[in-house]
Amino acid sequence: MSTVATASDPTRHFFQPVIVCLTVASVALTLFVIWISLHDLSLMRAGREKFIGLDNYLRFLGDPRAMAALWRTVLFTTLATVIEIALGLAVVLFLDRDFAMKRLVRTLLLVPIIMTPVVVGLTWRFLFDPATGMANYLLSLVGIAQVDWLGSPRIALFAVLIADIWQWTPFVILLVMAALESAPTDPLNAARVDGAREWQVTWYVLLPMLRRALAIVALIRAIDSIKAFDLFYIMTRGGPALSTETLNYYGYIVAFTNFDISYSLAVAIILTIFTNVALLTMYSVLFPKTGDR
Amino acid sequence: MARRALFYVGLVLLLLAVLFPLYWVVVTSFKTTRDAFAIPPVWLFSPTLDNYRTVFANRGFLSAFANSFTISILSSALAVAIGSIAAYGLAQQPAELRRSKEKFILSLRIAPALLFVIPIYYLATRIGALNKHWLLIAAYAFVNVPFAISLLITFFDDIPKELRDAARVDGAREFRVFWHIYLPAARGGIVATLILCVLFTWNEFFVALVLTGRDTQTLPVSITSFLTFQGIQWGALTAAATLIMLPMIVLGVLVQGQIVRGMTLGSVKG
Repeated sequence: MSTVATASDPTRHFFQPVIVCLTVASVALTLFVIWISLHDLSLMRAGREKFIGLDNYLRFLGDPRAMAALWRTVLFTTLATVIEIALGLAVVLFLDRDFAMKRLVRTLLLVPIIMTPVVVGLTWRFLFDPATGMANYLLSLVGIAQVDWLGSPRIALFAVLIADIWQWTPFVILLVMAALESAPTDPLNAARVDGAREWQVTWYVLLPMLRRALAIVALIRAIDSIKAFDLFYIMTRGGPALSTETLNYYGYIVAFTNFDISYSLAVAIILTIFTNVALLTMYSVLFPKTGDR
Repeated sequence: MARRALFYVGLVLLLLAVLFPLYWVVVTSFKTTRDAFAIPPVWLFSPTLDNYRTVFANRGFLSAFANSFTISILSSALAVAIGSIAAYGLAQQPAELRRSKEKFILSLRIAPALLFVIPIYYLATRIGALNKHWLLIAAYAFVNVPFAISLLITFFDDIPKELRDAARVDGAREFRVFWHIYLPAARGGIVATLILCVLFTWNEFFVALVLTGRDTQTLPVSITSFLTFQGIQWGALTAAATLIMLPMIVLGVLVQGQIVRGMTLGSVKG
């Protein structure tokens, strides 16, 4: 593996201990987690666990609540990622010109991103309050009847989605904006000189240049949406009638409400596998091997 | 001209959408209960500090403030100290080796927090560490180290290699180069990394929810105690929320250039 020359390189001593520690910790944790998931360890009856093989995984397949949570996670992740990317890109194109206070706008866009997620959840719960919230007041101004944002099983997931979109679209905007500014302007001008219309320049020249940045930010948003927890805990606690329970949240409930440690770890492992499969799929779609970029 | 006006209308709408929720929370924290729930909403009112008095009278909230402060500073300092040493080593490696290590570090961030929090929780109950500060400091340092490494590498890369080569020719050992050349040269980046780690740790909820006990509760966990079964005390809640996010918004604006760069490397939100 390592040649003598690099082995004697003293700079290796700087990172190797840390990498070794991280490797050992992650391998040990993984093995420990898999080992527990093959038992029926529960804090409700500690000390009497036994080996049950793959039963926890079979239980997952036959658990309608888990399956519904998995489907909800897919729905939430897809909607959040697609809407945030589309909306973010639209805003970036809208802001792509010189105007006074551009720096200030950029700073202000930062605010939702660095806001404590728990506070974001509380803020939106406050705005979505059915009787006294601002959302229903604004709707009443245009003559729309009150909506029970967080109390209706059909709407609650979308209410949480709105909060997520509010917090993370600015992140998409800032990242894509940075990519746009570092992109060369020559191709754009060349296309214009050749008589391309403005929408053609955007669609055929600008968007392909932003592809890489968009793909990266889509991957980041997808990872974070799959793992979203804070907004759900604060705004709905998975309710009403489990209508906002995602797989990550369900895993938390199994572990810390039911204290069914083994099953919750099986859920966590399935969630991890699912995340990796989704990411690899996205990655191969977004970065095709034949592409030149 | 009309196009220009239209653009500014759009810009104002965008900023309203981004800032109004924040504005509304901060403003509500200065309202009396009657003003806070008036419909139609009151835009002009005589401010009161009552909600802040309620929050500061809450001993749990004050100790949570202290906990959040201690835990985020210590775990971030630890993560940056470890991370900067590792990042220095990695920055000197040939591209291939370095890329494989960086990939490994990034892959650590994909697993859901659930996966490592449950076993840590289980082990902590076994050894009675659930109500200890060091458990959280260690857990957050573990979470922050990979992030600190990936971000610090990018700052060390900005330092010209000639500086290191010159020092090495003069006979300096690697550690001297690291300590006397790299650390001072990357001072801005190190401070930015530290601030970002503090920001993530301060804001983090899931790990804190599971691993904190009564004496170690951090702010995001503590604020949920205002969501009681008797109803929500929105006045005190908005005041507490303002106090929690304000320091982070100040810090965030200080390192604004680095935030998107840092978050691209994978956010630490758990």
